[in-house]
Amino acid sequence: MSALIDSLATEARLPADDHAAIRRRAHKALLQHGFPDLKTEAWKYTSLRVLEKRAFSEQQAGASALPALPFAATLLHFDNGILNVDDLDLPAGVSLQPQTEEQLAAVDHGDRAGAFAWLNLARFEQAWHLQIEGHLEQPLVLAISTAADFQNDVHPRLLIELAAGARAELIEVHEDRGEGLVNIVQDAALGRAAFLRHLVSRQSAQSAWIQRSHVRVARDADYRFHTLDRGGRLTRHDLAVRLTESGAHAEVDGTVLVNDRQHVDFHTAIDHEVGHTNSRESFRILADGTGVGVFNGRIHIHRGADDSHSDLNTANLLLSESARINAKPELEIYAEEVTASHGATIGQLDDAALFYMRSRGIPADQASALLKQGFAAAPFENIESESIRDWLMGELAELV
Amino acid sequence: MNQTVEQVNQVIQQRYKAGFYTDIESDRVRAGLDEEIIAMISAKKEEPSWLLEWRLKAFHHWQTMREPNWAHLKVPAIDLQKIHYYAAPKQKNRPKSLDEVDPKLLETFDKLGVPLHERARLAGVAVDAVFDSVSVGTTFQKELKEAGVIFCSFSEAVKEHPELVREYLGSVVPFTDNYFAALNSAVFSDGSFVYIPANTRCPMELSTYFRINARDTGQFERTLIIAEPGSEVSYLEGCTAPMRDENQLHAAVVELVARKKAKIKYSTVQNWYPGDENGKGGIYNFVTKRGDCREDDARISWTQVETGSAITWKYPSCILRGDRSAGEFYSVALTHNHQQADTGTKMIHLGKDTTSKIISKGISAGHSNNSYRGLVRIAKRAENARNYTQCDSLLIGKTCGAHTFPYIESANSTAKVEHEATTSRIGEDQLFYCRARGLDEEDAVAMIVDGFCKEVFKELPMEFAVEAKALLEISLEGAVG
Repeated sequence: MSALIDSLATEARLPADDHAAIRRRAHKALLQHGFPDLKTEAWKYTSLRVLEKRAFSEQQAGASALPALPFAATLLHFDNGILNVDDLDLPAGVSLQPQTEEQLAAVDHGDRAGAFAWLNLARFEQAWHLQIEGHLEQPLVLAISTAADFQNDVHPRLLIELAAGARAELIEVHEDRGEGLVNIVQDAALGRAAFLRHLVSRQSAQSAWIQRSHVRVARDADYRFHTLDRGGRLTRHDLAVRLTESGAHAEVDGTVLVNDRQHVDFHTAIDHEVGHTNSRESFRILADGTGVGVFNGRIHIHRGADDSHSDLNTANLLLSESARINAKPELEIYAEEVTASHGATIGQLDDAALFYMRSRGIPADQASALLKQGFAAAPFENIESESIRDWLMGELAELV
Repeated sequence: MNQTVEQVNQVIQQRYKAGFYTDIESDRVRAGLDEEIIAMISAKKEEPSWLLEWRLKAFHHWQTMREPNWAHLKVPAIDLQKIHYYAAPKQKNRPKSLDEVDPKLLETFDKLGVPLHERARLAGVAVDAVFDSVSVGTTFQKELKEAGVIFCSFSEAVKEHPELVREYLGSVVPFTDNYFAALNSAVFSDGSFVYIPANTRCPMELSTYFRINARDTGQFERTLIIAEPGSEVSYLEGCTAPMRDENQLHAAVVELVARKKAKIKYSTVQNWYPGDENGKGGIYNFVTKRGDCREDDARISWTQVETGSAITWKYPSCILRGDRSAGEFYSVALTHNHQQADTGTKMIHLGKDTTSKIISKGISAGHSNNSYRGLVRIAKRAENARNYTQCDSLLIGKTCGAHTFPYIESANSTAKVEHEATTSRIGEDQLFYCRARGLDEEDAVAMIVDGFCKEVFKELPMEFAVEAKALLEISLEGAVG
């Protein structure tokens, strides 16, 4: 693991700015814990070998392309991971400032499993604080993209705050064409009765894509997360949702598609910290070629969080001889008057359904594509916005 | 006031009925763990040199290992140097028949409901009774011998059938497997040995009863069951220990080998002393149990009812190596007061068309924590493998925890794996219904729990099912209200 420390986390690479003390502290914590390896429980199925072999460039890469979106949106372009603020036109109710020292210091990233978050705090280029008030008309799109010659490491950091009663759709479009490291740390807080639909559409090429999203949901607020992950050389997303006040609600839906030489690892954790909180989660992996999909979903109902309800479901398809899927749906429950359940399946396309379709004259290829598409699309069916739903379905149709 | 306290104490004492101590002179080695102790144990048992070498190899490997910490358990530091690794009731010569066994020992087992004497014939179950570090007697040996079945203590097997022991010892759980298996391999004292010849159905149920008696000791037994092609055996295991304020360690290894078309059914009712209501005392139970379906069409079934022990760390597993082999795991784990359990199974599918089924029921009450941890692994060449897992948890009270950690790994696209889990409390409506029919709350809970566990109980041999049900009721006393 020292190879990674040398290439990513030498003291010489810490930016010199006003936050030097915080950066040094984070760096120290990182050195103390080290990067995770296969013996680290939370990283047991994901090896960092790909990263260890890489040398990261200091050279600026060329401009990355903007994603084409079929709906009107406010766009924030993180070109090779860096937000260009020059001609940013933000709608009313949205403001963007750099994070303050207090905001940076407020986060604790834990042990070895949180190594990349420490790395982010030690090395971030920009740390933004995005505030949202009222109802946003258009979705806010964070386009994080990299160019073909991107071989750098970049550490975007973002704090998103929704005021009480605010309502927004936040869409992250991650498009990678490079061969570097994108290491994102994201914290979000939903005020009372706020609503956030948070969507991540990701396609990564050779870059390692590591993201940590921590979300706090206050009283009667509603957080909906959706992801469509179309694979990458090494992708790891940790999503932690904390339901901190009664009435808080969270839904997490995701579809991951992996193919040859791709590895996607999704870790989600939903913490019911108080009673009368609800969550639902549904996650699907379709693994083809030599792809590896990992899903670890944890529901934690804390002591005293009585009358909480939670359901977690993961259904997975293994589509080739060499693909692999590892699933671990966990429940950790300390309260009474709760109902919590989880289900997990790993299997293949239903032969009977295929036969039925073929007997209706649909060629085998098309029949299996339709079945896969239907399977993969299920988590997006409850997205209200038709244009966003159509966009995702279109992306999916292209893939399968 | 004092009288009340006494009464309460009495009730509590009654709850763990096996908590008495037998005052019998015992022969034990000094405390500590080193090569000399291991050589001493080996010498006491008059073992051949290859076995001592194996023990020492295991010991050296163990020295390089660390205690596992991945389980959802809080394990206080265990000072392994303070344990006496061998303790045996004193007797001049090994008794040749049960008539020569110290009556005090027979009485102990009678009291535990395991009559060893010939009158046990009526019960029709052959018993190997292990008291601290040695087997004190095995019943029905003659009848079993006629059928060609070998059922004896491990030490006897080493003497009488060294070739079998040498071939199979450590072939399912090598001493490199884990920390506690390595420790056991170095210091194991006794246990049971079963060999069922080809095409033989064992004429009766076999059973081992483990009893820890002496203070400051641990029990490190080893059980090895070999089922030759086409054979069939059902094996039961029970265990108890006296009530003490100190914790005692139990680190056993069980190895099962099922050859072509062989069937092994292994049932356990684990009732080690769980500690008192404040979490003081109790047995630390760290056990490695594994079955190997070594050839085609073999079948291994584990059934366990876990109500005892302060800490349980136990994952009876099946390696489904032969094509069409099948593994089953049925478990009821109940924790109360300050007990902790992290238990489950591993189903490793290696062969084609292998199937496995896991039914796990966890019940937590008091301040206890109860975790199910299971692994289902489908290897690349396990075509058409099939697994079904169901693990349900029941919470009684506000201060306990119920957890589920299933690991599912699939590397074959023709395999099907299904897992479902639920956690809930006993429904108010269920309780209300029972109480409206005149049952008091405790009986109602017992009845609901019994229904919750039914799927597992029906897998147990009848005598055990009755015992398990009664045990559950006793263990749950005081859990409600």
